[in-house]
Amino acid sequence: MSESNDKLIVTKIKDGTVIDRIPPGKALKILEILGIDSNYPYTVAIALRVASRKMKLKDFVKIRGKALTTQDTQKLSFIAPTATVNIIVDYKVQEKQYLKIPEHVEDFVDCINPNCVSNAHEPIVSSFDVVSKDPLILRCVYCDRLLDQKYLNRKL
Amino acid sequence: MIPRNLFSTRTISKDFVEQIFSLASKIESNPDQFADKCKGKILATLFFEPSTRTRLSFESAMLRLGGQILGFTNAKVSSAVKGESIADTLRMINHYSHIAVIRHYIEGIGEIANKFASIPVISGGTGSQEHPTQALLDLYSIKKEFKGIENLSIGVMGDLLYGRTIPSLLFALAKYDNIDLHLIAPPALKLRKNVALRLKENGFKFNTEENLKDILPDLDVLYMTRIQKERFPDPVDYERLKGVYQISTDDIKNAKDRFIILHPLPRVDEIDYAIDKTKHSRYFEQALNGVWIRMALLLKYLGLD
Repeated sequence: MSESNDKLIVTKIKDGTVIDRIPPGKALKILEILGIDSNYPYTVAIALRVASRKMKLKDFVKIRGKALTTQDTQKLSFIAPTATVNIIVDYKVQEKQYLKIPEHVEDFVDCINPNCVSNAHEPIVSSFDVVSKDPLILRCVYCDRLLDQKYLNRKL
Repeated sequence: MIPRNLFSTRTISKDFVEQIFSLASKIESNPDQFADKCKGKILATLFFEPSTRTRLSFESAMLRLGGQILGFTNAKVSSAVKGESIADTLRMINHYSHIAVIRHYIEGIGEIANKFASIPVISGGTGSQEHPTQALLDLYSIKKEFKGIENLSIGVMGDLLYGRTIPSLLFALAKYDNIDLHLIAPPALKLRKNVALRLKENGFKFNTEENLKDILPDLDVLYMTRIQKERFPDPVDYERLKGVYQISTDDIKNAKDRFIILHPLPRVDEIDYAIDKTKHSRYFEQALNGVWIRMALLLKYLGLD
């Protein structure tokens, strides 16, 4: 990684995922959501609060050897809705995904209600409808309780 | 269309509600005509939480219809203490009865019933989420009194946060037009956000108040609720809020002549005993209406109406 004038240059990765245009300060949370910590065996580059033409400031992460699941991108969309996900194959962007907040998510986060059946020992998974995208509000399909952005930031 | 199970008044139609009222009214005027309707049918009463009126009125309803009952009134005598899931309990009950009523402190079990029950399952109350059959008997009581539910001024007072009868009552009232609804509660016990959002999505407007005094002269119905001691996470909060709303005969002296007071019962100290003798009290008649409504529900869900 080097910086010439005010341009930050980060080495390309051969195969993996680049998550760009992350709202400033959220990159570490995104790595946490993706389960990437100090034990991750491949190269990970993190840039925090770098200059961006579109966002003024942004974060980005480059993760070698990581492909995101649908659930990963759903979680990212709740924490960093402006982010883009670039799938890198042989140093080239094979696919660029713009995150979209889904209408419904399952087995994603625990319900806020300790008495919700999804938190009991039952043969079901947690299930939520997205009732508002801005501000973000999820509604439990089972107990009807609402989950807000603050709760999701804490729990994801 | 009849929903497979009954766990919410939000998901049933006004037409269905009116069909239940019409059948309840027929039963009430001539119960003997229905005495053998459920002969050979078994109702399972699965009560994982205490109950007096709901369980007894369901059992009374089934016995009056000529059916039989089985079940338990204490979770400690069921396999729940061994860790059995609600899903597995319902899978068993499918084989033992033709219809079931379940009361549980766990919320959202309607979805479990939809997935795992092959017989109709009716909620007898789930946590602080809903109590749909109570709402139906509440509205039936109002309808009997005023010959309709529309164009009334209704106050709902007390524990709007934890009282499970409240969401069901409001979702049911939201099916009717031109209701002047006043929700009266201290800030700490106001309506849950999810319930308020559902009402907003339905275009159902209401006023929120902290004092009964100013609006009492306009009310046709006052629906009182108990502060739900058992649902408070912190007993200190209960001690702080208990007794926050108590009404006496003095408090209702400016009420309309036709004004009535309803209460899902049990009451603690929110309605003074002296009110029982006034022309405004209807909570004991309301409890009796529970039998007619539950008879109608059993017949409807068993396809015997």
